[in-house]
Amino acid sequence: MSDSDPSSGSDAEGRLGLLERFPSVLMARRNLSRNRLRSGLAALGIVIGVLAIATLGIFGNVLQLSATNELGGLGNQVIVSPNEDTGAETLSPRDVAAVERIAEGRGTAVPLVTDGAVVNGPSGQTFAQLYGLDRPRALFTARAGTVPEFHRQGALVGSSVAGRLGLQPGSAVEIEGQRFRVIAVLAESDDITPIQPSNAVVLPRDAFAQDAPSQIVVQADSGEDAAYVAGTVRDRLNARERRVSVFELSSILDRINEFFGLLNGFLVALGAVSLVVAGVAIFNVMLMSTTERRGEIGVLRAVGVQKGDVLRTLIVEATLLGIVGGFGGVVLTTVAVGALYQFSPIGLDVVLHPSNGVYLVVAFAFGVFISLASGLYPAYRAANEEPVDALRD
Amino acid sequence: MSEDVGVAGEADEAESGGADGTETGGADASLGADTETPLELTNVVKAYETGAETVRALKGVDFAVERGEFVSVIGPSGSGKSTMLNMLGLLDTPTSGEVLLDGVDAATYDDTQRTDARREYIGFVFQQFYLIDALTAVENVTLPTVYQRDPGAEARAEDLLRRVGLGDRLDHRPTQLSGGQKQRVAIARSLINEPAVVLADEPTGNLDQETGTTILEEFAAVCEEGVAVVTVTHDPLVNEFADRVVELVDGVIRDVR
Repeated sequence: MSDSDPSSGSDAEGRLGLLERFPSVLMARRNLSRNRLRSGLAALGIVIGVLAIATLGIFGNVLQLSATNELGGLGNQVIVSPNEDTGAETLSPRDVAAVERIAEGRGTAVPLVTDGAVVNGPSGQTFAQLYGLDRPRALFTARAGTVPEFHRQGALVGSSVAGRLGLQPGSAVEIEGQRFRVIAVLAESDDITPIQPSNAVVLPRDAFAQDAPSQIVVQADSGEDAAYVAGTVRDRLNARERRVSVFELSSILDRINEFFGLLNGFLVALGAVSLVVAGVAIFNVMLMSTTERRGEIGVLRAVGVQKGDVLRTLIVEATLLGIVGGFGGVVLTTVAVGALYQFSPIGLDVVLHPSNGVYLVVAFAFGVFISLASGLYPAYRAANEEPVDALRD
Repeated sequence: MSEDVGVAGEADEAESGGADGTETGGADASLGADTETPLELTNVVKAYETGAETVRALKGVDFAVERGEFVSVIGPSGSGKSTMLNMLGLLDTPTSGEVLLDGVDAATYDDTQRTDARREYIGFVFQQFYLIDALTAVENVTLPTVYQRDPGAEARAEDLLRRVGLGDRLDHRPTQLSGGQKQRVAIARSLINEPAVVLADEPTGNLDQETGTTILEEFAAVCEEGVAVVTVTHDPLVNEFADRVVELVDGVIRDVR
């Protein structure tokens, strides 16, 4: 007895120190640990809810980020071509000049002559798309050789044409009786664009018999610029009659983003439903445990524990369930996102994008909030019961 | 009888003086000066509305308990004993009349004030003990102080448990204790804030005669220290230990001895 006493006394003092500062938290923790299984199951509900919201949100977000990365350049191009309904196959010099004026300061307008022809090279011949344009650097990058700013002579060949014909810078190709020296092999384009260089040969415009451009590609500096150019071209050139058709993808990109936003919202809503279900579970657990502890709470009130202290303790209990469950959910989500990164071609920059963290924080906060809200009514009811009623069996 | 009270009262003066030195202050300060009558009911009426009918459980009860006095309240079921105990324990408010704590009317206290007064002034002992199974004996005893900043509570609890003979059961949980031991823990709990009055509702109701006797001896010891004890009971054994027995019949008090 005298042996065990001092040790238990000092231990008790340590506990009391904490107890003094946060009696509600300590009492709540003690109460929760009294029925570990039940508390664990209630917290598990929140774990799953938070996991659902956070993973669905982050996965959707990752999808959107990846898509935006992939489609990035898509939105910056505007393609102006003659209105097919009028029968015109080329753009008039006036229209070309107008588009160039509109594009000034917002990007580079590249008038383009298109054709198709058989291309002869050192190791055979193939059919290729021909582009005639003067300013290739605005549209293409080189894999080998250099793409000139202004294109006056020689040919730029797409990578698959170069592969088929065994071409490299310095080789020669023959197209419809004309010989061209290859000055560059073009790189594959990462972006989705209507001007695909892979199966094309790019020549100076004056190499074509008919050099009126069949379209103008405007490589704008940004998606906004592209939208502005497209809109202005439509307004000015098609004011009285529809002379040109304008193709731009920035609006489509907006739609795609909009769609992903919607998809994301939908996924998060699905997750939220599961979290609300978890909230109902906590509500149930809190109601059960307060009903079970009715007499005990009555005694607490009788021996001088204030209503507010009982209320606070019970709310802290529910909130602790939410915090523990939310934390578990966040940890599991991190694991799930790590697995996504491991087993899918998604880039690290997308996985570690700060917007994903927002989903984690929001899911956690929502989990805690749902728990707290679920605990309010049972806590209120238990705290406000008259001790006389609680103790009357 | 009155002699008895006088002696007990004097002993109490010394005792409570010493206790005040280590007191944390609290509700005692808000109450009137220590009087010989810590708790008193004057003309207390309690009426309940049940449907269209009004049931008067207490019909003008006058009752006072002196320091160090052991009073047993008896009466048939439905005579209003529990209602009276609830009035004494500030668990309920009377329809009319006064509940005087050291001469201060507590009948109009709001819930917070009543709760504070219960904690600082009154100890409760119940028939079903009402200990929390998850907590040790010491923790159960300190329960009324858990939300107070009271660093001395732990030591007082250990002291009280030793006094009721449970010095070797400090860290036992209620499930490891016998009925009598549980009731002793409950008595220790009722004394943790050095109350003026201990109210006991059928304290021996769940105990065999022998154990009940030891519990009543415990109450007698509590009275020795100047604390008033009021029991509500059917158990005739209690009356043997009581200084005074009053009977409640039809909501009115009658002195028996």
